[in-house]
Amino acid sequence: MKKTTLVLFAAGVLCAVQPAQAHHAFAAEYDSDKPVTLSGTLTKMDWVNPHGWLYMDTKQPDGTVKHWTIETSGPNQMSRRGLKKTDFKAGMSVTVKGYQGIKDPALANGRTLVLADGRSFYIGSVGGPNDGADR
Amino acid sequence: MKYVRCLHAAAAIALIAASLVAGCAAPAPEKPPPAAAAPPYRPVASIREVMNSVIDPSVDEVWNSVGSTVDHKGLTDRAPTADDDWAQVRRHALIVSEAANLLLMHDRPVAPPGAPSLAPGVELTPEEIRSLIDKNPEGWDFYVQQFQDSLTPALAAIDAKNAQALFDAGEKIDETCENCHATFWYPKAVASSR
Repeated sequence: MKKTTLVLFAAGVLCAVQPAQAHHAFAAEYDSDKPVTLSGTLTKMDWVNPHGWLYMDTKQPDGTVKHWTIETSGPNQMSRRGLKKTDFKAGMSVTVKGYQGIKDPALANGRTLVLADGRSFYIGSVGGPNDGADR
Repeated sequence: MKYVRCLHAAAAIALIAASLVAGCAAPAPEKPPPAAAAPPYRPVASIREVMNSVIDPSVDEVWNSVGSTVDHKGLTDRAPTADDDWAQVRRHALIVSEAANLLLMHDRPVAPPGAPSLAPGVELTPEEIRSLIDKNPEGWDFYVQQFQDSLTPALAAIDAKNAQALFDAGEKIDETCENCHATFWYPKAVASSR
């Protein structure tokens, strides 16, 4: 029983922060031939180095909900483009354009973020495709 | 008696002279120049293993120590608060900083024998990475030292218990990671994205 509690506690601590990802090339993790446009509800945002993370739910055509994890650029890079951590609220509507993960179809690399108030920000990280999203 | 003293003096002079002659005639053999000594260190892990086992886990601790989360509870900032928290982050920052020295050992293999590229077609094979390092060892050292230097502001921020400075330092650490990776690990992927 104690062992189970300890394992659960450890798992909780590990889940409290974004799991580490090795530093790979964009093309190693994301498919530049699979652009996605995701409109849905923000459930969580991690403002952390080296990359931020957005978590959002989108409704599928069949009525089910898909949980997306979206990698962004570093938080200070987003700050310099005018996006602040205080701009985020859980439950807000957002639209993210980006590229789908190769191995994980619920993972995406974000390029642009449009907030509910209509403001749009470039949130792409280094090494993404030259699609003009950063202009 | 006087004759005996003279004999003693003559013997002593002869002995000294003989010693001097012997000393001049047979100089001590020169020590051969020291052969290039093998370094005393012995790499055990490959670069990939040092990255995965030493640097990555600790730099993640440094990065994750400061940040913010927005969820259904609202905005929550996190940063080390207690002295023990700061000491823990400092330990990880030191591990990363000193581990950079491990990457400067040029006889360390890139990956375990037979290990493939982690992303074939995107990231280079260990043999290709080795070739790039061997062609540009100064560049390799430069990027590794740049990475090591990027830990200095982080350590200063930790010593000052300045969470914002540590957060800002985290961005610089990432930049130096990316500079090196883009040069030696996945240069083709970087070139094709430009």
